[in-house]
Amino acid sequence: MAEKVTHSICVGGPIAIHSENGVIRRVRPIIFDKDDPQPWVIEARGNKYSPYRKTTTAFIALTEKNRAYSYDRIRYPMIREDFVETPDGQNRNADNRGKSGYRKATWDEALDLVARETKRIQSRYGKEAVTAITSSHHSWGVLGYKLSAFARFFRMLGYTQLQDNPDSWEGFTWGAPHTYGYYWRLGGTEAFDLLEDALQNVETMIMWSHDPDTTRGGYAANESTMWRHWLDDLGVQFIYIDPFNNFSSVKQADKWLAPRPGTDAALCEAIAYVWMTEGSYDKEYIAKHGHRFDEWQDYILGNGADRLPKSPKWAERETGIPAADIKALARRWAQTKTMGGSGLRGGFGGVCRTANGTEFARVMVSLFAMQGMGKPGQNIWVGTTGAPMDYNFWFGGYSDPLSQIANQPIADKTAVNCVTQKLYRPNLPDAILDGHYEWYGEGFCGGGIDLEFTEHVYPEPGCSEVHMFYRYGGTFMGSMLDTNKWVKMYRSPKLEFIVNQDIHFHGESRFADVILPACTNLERYDIGELCNSGNGGYQSHSQTGNNWQIVVFQDKAIEPLWDSRSDYWIFAELAKRLGFGEDYSEGRDELAWCKRFWEKSDLRDKISWEDFTKKGYYVAGIPGTERERHYGFRWFAEGYPCDTPNHKPFQEEGKLGTFTGKFEFVSESMLYYAPDDEVRTPIATYKPSWEGHHSIKAKKFPFHLITPHPRFDYHTQHNSSTPWIWEIPENRKYIAGNPYLIARIHPEKAAEKGIKDGDIVELFNERGSVLCVARVTYRVEVNTIHAYGSSGIYNPTVPGEISTHENPDIGGCVNILSPGRLIGDKVPGMAPNSTLLDICKWEGALPQGQYFESKLDAVAKEADPDAETCFEIIEGHGFEAIQAKVRAKQA
Amino acid sequence: MRLGIAIDSRMCMACYCCFTACKDEHAGFDTALSKAQPQMGQFWIDIRETERSDSSRRVKVSTVPTPCSHCQEPACAKAAKDGAIYKRSDGIVIIDPEKSKGQKAIVDACPIHAVYWNEEYQIPQKCTMCAELLDDPSYLAYLGDPKLKKPRCVEACPNNAMFFGDLDDPNSDISKAIAANKITQLRELEGQATNVVHLNVPTRYLAGTVYLPEELEEVAIGASVTLKGKGGTYTTTTNYFGDWEIEDLPIDEKFDITITHENYKPITLSAATDSDHYVGQTFLSK
Repeated sequence: MAEKVTHSICVGGPIAIHSENGVIRRVRPIIFDKDDPQPWVIEARGNKYSPYRKTTTAFIALTEKNRAYSYDRIRYPMIREDFVETPDGQNRNADNRGKSGYRKATWDEALDLVARETKRIQSRYGKEAVTAITSSHHSWGVLGYKLSAFARFFRMLGYTQLQDNPDSWEGFTWGAPHTYGYYWRLGGTEAFDLLEDALQNVETMIMWSHDPDTTRGGYAANESTMWRHWLDDLGVQFIYIDPFNNFSSVKQADKWLAPRPGTDAALCEAIAYVWMTEGSYDKEYIAKHGHRFDEWQDYILGNGADRLPKSPKWAERETGIPAADIKALARRWAQTKTMGGSGLRGGFGGVCRTANGTEFARVMVSLFAMQGMGKPGQNIWVGTTGAPMDYNFWFGGYSDPLSQIANQPIADKTAVNCVTQKLYRPNLPDAILDGHYEWYGEGFCGGGIDLEFTEHVYPEPGCSEVHMFYRYGGTFMGSMLDTNKWVKMYRSPKLEFIVNQDIHFHGESRFADVILPACTNLERYDIGELCNSGNGGYQSHSQTGNNWQIVVFQDKAIEPLWDSRSDYWIFAELAKRLGFGEDYSEGRDELAWCKRFWEKSDLRDKISWEDFTKKGYYVAGIPGTERERHYGFRWFAEGYPCDTPNHKPFQEEGKLGTFTGKFEFVSESMLYYAPDDEVRTPIATYKPSWEGHHSIKAKKFPFHLITPHPRFDYHTQHNSSTPWIWEIPENRKYIAGNPYLIARIHPEKAAEKGIKDGDIVELFNERGSVLCVARVTYRVEVNTIHAYGSSGIYNPTVPGEISTHENPDIGGCVNILSPGRLIGDKVPGMAPNSTLLDICKWEGALPQGQYFESKLDAVAKEADPDAETCFEIIEGHGFEAIQAKVRAKQA
Repeated sequence: MRLGIAIDSRMCMACYCCFTACKDEHAGFDTALSKAQPQMGQFWIDIRETERSDSSRRVKVSTVPTPCSHCQEPACAKAAKDGAIYKRSDGIVIIDPEKSKGQKAIVDACPIHAVYWNEEYQIPQKCTMCAELLDDPSYLAYLGDPKLKKPRCVEACPNNAMFFGDLDDPNSDISKAIAANKITQLRELEGQATNVVHLNVPTRYLAGTVYLPEELEEVAIGASVTLKGKGGTYTTTTNYFGDWEIEDLPIDEKFDITITHENYKPITLSAATDSDHYVGQTFLSK
């Protein structure tokens, strides 16, 4: 059989997949042919800028083959070996979850059991006794996404919705709207056409806890990397502010400033102090667009209640950055056209995930306001979005209700959840273990600023507690905090039945009673657009982070491996067993659903279904130099009705989404909803962290841990399954079958602790203990330990037990160490970058392997005595053997 | 014809696309020219990241993706017996997986450590410049343009940091890229002609920051900084942060540094380029 080329898309970008004889040979970026459209052109400062005629990938996209044939694939449906299907749900050896092995099951056996338990639990306790949640983006595509196939199933079933927290941007979500609105973008601003603005006008870029080459526009591959090189070539100055001299910074920074973690708002306040005392801000703009600026100015200058001037000298003591450098930063910012912000899309930086993250976000927005935000070259823009785009071409993104099979018009009938009770992800373990939990907010509060203050009680009056947990895709052991809390929850007999549906045998899968093996995107049909989170969604028009708007037919390259099945198939089969199979599928198979997305979008007018599926992708034409332009925020600066594509009715009057329609330096929304909030005071202020260098705890645990979004992973979904990348020196070090995570420490502190580069070290505090490999480097602020968060690998030395000094994790799951509490009583965000710990050289023995492989190997051997073991796939010829078997079967 | 790859270190952000594409192509697959790369332990394109720093005041990292250099006169070929290594007419250097069996000397002969030993097969292995794909007319035929066919690493580079083509053709992408940039041969290969050409790999920098007298808490903007070494004199002025830096200095030289600023006493320092140095925060006095 000849080599076949199909296409797909993943969080790392669009890919072309070569397969032959039923196996995948290679994965490549998509190179455009002569029929694809010409690129956009931006003219700026005498140059013409255009992107290359291909889609880029992040390197993780090129690991998709490896991830499909990965050693940790769940190959068969599995049932915990000591699970007993007791009629009352008790005495099921719940305490052994995480420790016990599994036995292979047939699909009928596993699905029948899940259906029986769902019926039993819902009839005994009520519909609300089932809860379920997914992680984000473990697969790409609008059919298989969590808001589509998963949501349709559980809404039809009826369940306690488990709300997500905006875990990537917290501070900007809960803070920034109180200064300038934009709650519908979760605190982020609008970047429309700002790439052109920047190329034409900007002189200084402030990259505040922002590592664009690591976070890559979210899921925009490496599309924007070249833009920042263009700016660099124009002599634009890049100033990086981050306790870690991150991977973009070490290659591109003209200046790196390293504040002590959690003190960034103090630095912001000192910048404001310099501008106020030197008169170097846009007074006219503030007079016109600011609300109660004078009161904030009083606070900054030392005329407020605390009588403390927020001078550079004061900020030097908090941040560790010399006062002279702070003044120089403030003056450069004031004297040149400056754009910047925090983290990908302006509000996702690690600093937002600290105890003071909301206040940092608010003061940060205030600084941009002081320099005339929205005027040419003056804006919140971080060099990762804002490329030209055809705003008139619409294909739905994942968060767009119009492009989910849960809703009309993709489905004929919308699925509606009949249960009103809710749970909240960061504190799910507290709710389950304590049987009671109260919190504010609706998770993602894009619907209105008032939603932040909704009160929730679990259990809702008249409702049952939850007794069944259905976990789908990825793992929160790694991305959620205080991991040990999750272990305790999983071992609680209160959860009578736990299902895990995933592709890989992740940390959380190992605690389930029944495990259902899903296949990868390469083994099923789907459809999706690069980096489209949904026009009208929280990150509307995120495709402007790309050079090209490309919709991909995610063809099935190979048949599902082993006994795995598509997520859609699994939900459809369960729906059948639960009596709503026909309603769930509406008679469609996966290909028919894909066609619905084509039919209900502008794609239908551009390319026939036959041509689209044959070619495999469609690139939207980019308008020429006469194209429409809608520079983000320009409308506000210049005082005309909002003309950008993502706007609200009040913006048509030239107003912001705050109560007053202006920048609020004293927040009227905070005064109205929560004047007593101790975290978000009416005037945003720097406040020392509840776990920081002013804490008593710092005497025992003197180091700050920061755990930014990972460079060598996407959430928890690639690093664990892709041994190739375990040998990247800045990622992990592969020792005796286990990939130890790199933890970075300053040479001065390493010398004090007797730690050398490459040593195994123990990171520890009262919450637990994690073994890493030390990288001794000047790239960290002196009091900081840097280790990437979202480790998809979680391996406590004694599986199923909580991590302690006697039982350290060797997977690099550093969120074992981070605080499980919320930022504040009324701020339901998490703060992994407000963690204190200590570090020492590890003198103990190192184990062989990763502890969980034996469980997978046992099931694989049970199914096939010749099965390849995990170790053979990682280091030996397992991959070749698996492919050879499929080839032989085909022949 | 002389096929080559040019690699621009300035544009390389160590994104690891080249590394992963190479693994994807060669790990686990025998080809017409090579045995399969083992899943672990070999890096036919190895991204060598070097931290250039002795202070948190100034940190840079150089990133040098390093495949086999496909030398004009390969040291490995000299070390090889039985013609186990040959140079094709297009300049690509190939290790014959059969003839090279047992010849560990080939690994040791490579000055840049780009050849790896396969313990299981007892053979040396390295980058083939994807010659087996370049040779295959059916590969990427669907794109309809043979010029779009490139080694996997080059194709995967998202940032135009890698160029492929005929070094003998002055109009090829690669020749143009080389002409427009600074050739920085790897030190171990100095003086040798290679088909893989490294561009813009930095040498050494000296840097510092100048402040007005300490009690003023102000940086000194526009101060003159002069470096005198045996090979020449370099001058610069401090920027808006009081920072100065001279990049790409000759290696292993001593420099006398003079800092002058109107109305202040000149300051003299000395530093050497044995490695990259941040010479410190300098405070002026009257």
